[in-house]
Amino acid sequence: MLRFIVRRVLGAIPVLFGLSVILFLFLRLLPGGGPAVAILGQHATPQLIAQINETQGFDHPLYVQYLDYLGRLFRGDFGASVIDGRTVAESFAIRFPATVELTIGALIFAVGLGIPLGRLAARHPNSWIDGVVTAISLFGISIPVFVLGYTLTFFFAVQLHWLPAFGQIDPRLNVPPVTHFAIIDALLAGNWYVVDAVAHLILPSIALGSIPLAVITRITRASVIDVSNEDYVRTARAKGLTDRRVNSRHIMRNAWLPVTTVIGLQVGALLAGAVLTETVFTWNGVGSWVVTSIQNHDYIVVQSLILIFATIFLTVNLIVDVGYAFLNPRIRYS
Amino acid sequence: MKRLASLLAIAALVATACTSSSSTPAPASGGTLVVGLNGDMVFADPSLVSDGNSLYVGANVIQGLVGLKPGTISEVIPVLATDLPTVSADGKTYTFKLRTGVKFHDGSDFNAAAVKFNYDRWKAYTKGDLQDNAYYYGAVFGGFGDASNISSVDASDATTVVINLKTPQSNFLLASTLAVFGIQSPTALQKDNADTTPLKDNKYAQGQGESMVGTGPFMFKSWTPNDSIVIVRNPSYWDSANAAKLDQVTFKPFGDSTATLQALQSGGIDLAFSISPLDVATAKGAGLTMIDRGASCNQLNLDINQSVGGSPTIYANKSVRTAVAEALNKDSYVTAFYSGLGKAPTGFMPSATTGFKTETLPAYDATKATADLKAAGLTADQLTVDLYYPSNVVRPYMPDPKGIATAIANDLTKVGFTVNLKTEDWKGGYVSDATGGKFPLYLFGWTCDWAGADNFLYTAWFGYQDNKPNAQFGWANDQANTLMLKALGEPTVDAANADWGQVQDLLAQDLPMVPIVNSQPPGAMSSKVHGFVGASNGIEYFNTVTVTK
Repeated sequence: MLRFIVRRVLGAIPVLFGLSVILFLFLRLLPGGGPAVAILGQHATPQLIAQINETQGFDHPLYVQYLDYLGRLFRGDFGASVIDGRTVAESFAIRFPATVELTIGALIFAVGLGIPLGRLAARHPNSWIDGVVTAISLFGISIPVFVLGYTLTFFFAVQLHWLPAFGQIDPRLNVPPVTHFAIIDALLAGNWYVVDAVAHLILPSIALGSIPLAVITRITRASVIDVSNEDYVRTARAKGLTDRRVNSRHIMRNAWLPVTTVIGLQVGALLAGAVLTETVFTWNGVGSWVVTSIQNHDYIVVQSLILIFATIFLTVNLIVDVGYAFLNPRIRYS
Repeated sequence: MKRLASLLAIAALVATACTSSSSTPAPASGGTLVVGLNGDMVFADPSLVSDGNSLYVGANVIQGLVGLKPGTISEVIPVLATDLPTVSADGKTYTFKLRTGVKFHDGSDFNAAAVKFNYDRWKAYTKGDLQDNAYYYGAVFGGFGDASNISSVDASDATTVVINLKTPQSNFLLASTLAVFGIQSPTALQKDNADTTPLKDNKYAQGQGESMVGTGPFMFKSWTPNDSIVIVRNPSYWDSANAAKLDQVTFKPFGDSTATLQALQSGGIDLAFSISPLDVATAKGAGLTMIDRGASCNQLNLDINQSVGGSPTIYANKSVRTAVAEALNKDSYVTAFYSGLGKAPTGFMPSATTGFKTETLPAYDATKATADLKAAGLTADQLTVDLYYPSNVVRPYMPDPKGIATAIANDLTKVGFTVNLKTEDWKGGYVSDATGGKFPLYLFGWTCDWAGADNFLYTAWFGYQDNKPNAQFGWANDQANTLMLKALGEPTVDAANADWGQVQDLLAQDLPMVPIVNSQPPGAMSSKVHGFVGASNGIEYFNTVTVTK
């Protein structure tokens, strides 16, 4: 097992390296005046653009810039934004907790609703219940995240005033950012502010969780139906075991396997979905940061962020694979 | 499903009824106001920024010697000075008398030495991060260090500051109202090493600790990047009659106009600095109060380039430029894209600009445009033109670039052009290609930095660069350029305005571009907000504001 993990980690290095080269070239080949235009706004004359490109070293040959970037990366320096001067590490520490919070919220929504729905549909295959569940999951997978986000906000925040429309916590509460996990910070601040933080998490979690919800529902349904048709399930029933016992001991235990894998893989989809959800809900996470950095041609930040995203994705994949091996005694890597 | 729908509808009605029944009188003081901005601040040191969001916040915290009367764009009033300065006859020496008893937010004294410290600090900004970001100092005074037009600043006594210029500069007073020329506490600037570079190591500029230590009615409290900027009431403000009534103003950056409007409608924020003109009807329908922005300080143009890549375009022919101007039904654009919050220009700048002169611009007349275009004798090939508009951007003067470009293209088609609409990403090429002179016909505009003729006519548009006509227009008119330089160097504003008047006459004669609209950028606020005075130059003060619970 250890050898397997080491091999996977080593295998990730060329992937990340290749990615960094492609990203680097891709960003530099984008048309426009580079980050200077974002700094200068309407004052971006060719002269001033050239001046900033010179002082920031963007006029050096590409390979020099790349080696410089790589060199700093090896020293653990992810660089700093050319626009606001903040280091990537510093901003990441502020924004990543928000994204983690949102991802967990979305997973709770997707798993908490997806698995019961999937099981429900599997117990009544091809019935009207199955039809409704299928319709829900089709809706979840086909509606664009931003449409769902704005629609939810319109009904529940603008019309009904039940839930907040944006952000992680009401700015009027003045909750001091300590950990940048809004829920933890709200708990630390006391006064039941945590209720406000949780309320802020609901709509974005639903918007972001809609696609994983659909996927998890479908997989659970398929997996449960698959396992239900196995000989050992029929045997268990023939032995006179109760429905409940058959379900928990024999069906779900085996049906979990593909479901777990899919849940793990959804983390990648959630990171991608966060880009849109965070923009719609003015959520101060890594996703909305990617968007503004790309718009501003903030080369260094985009490069580092994508590398971090890729690393997270590879790590999650690795954990899923390892977890799979643990869960499934039939599979052993050597 | 039906029951759910009717329940939702009832709940919506109840919610609407609840929100629209608040008409309690405004309280005298206290409370927090949450303001939605278009984006985050860039730096918490106003001398290092040129973006609207940073200046909007900064103007409430730090103050300059002079400022603008709230709600106006060009009425200069003394702020930290007791009166407007006395100016020497040669226009090179400005003497300011300072207020006494004013303290910075850190408790240190405001005096002539503090003013001198700030002016000297800006002038000494080093090449690189500081100069790259301190755009305005460089732009107003012609550069840093020896290149600066300020030869020296003398603190002759504690309440007298004399600013000596190398050459007279007619825009000096109006440009001095910019928030970037606010005076900050020398004690704080020194203690916090505010000049540290690179800026990633500069905590003062990043607002992580003490920052923006000025004399204003509000004090900087905290900045969580991209999340919120908090300023609080200055309890010992020098001008007690105009002290802040609110306890706190929290600025919240938004990345998207739909999200901003929804935040306002949901009650999460109290005031949105900017909403899309296309949402004005929705906002009014939802019971929100529209911000009255007064006189416009921006302009959208259909820019015409007479020379692209060194060779003349069809627009080098004045009949063609006139035909283009006559073809456009500008009033219809104001109705369709600005919800009526704008006007077709009556000259080459917004009419409240210092030095503005009304000019007779070609009126909308499709028949005449068709005839003028025929008279130009162009081939069918030449009449097929490209019209560029930017994508992925909304500007105060340009709420819907594609829509406006399409309307313009339709009007041009009616008089005989065949128009190909073309687009580029605003930051990803459009700005640099437009200013670099690559587009023959394109949408571009300007929001005033200060409402002076020089800012529009010289800085934004027609000033020669490196002794050559601005590549953006390819309009070679040495007489106009000489006049503009003369105007900039006049000792008095009146003398300068006479020159600017002549420049505008030359523009009307030659028509190097077509002004389309001067807009009032819409903003909205909850009906609970009182005492807010809007202005179209992006500087608005919150000291007079109250908010009902």
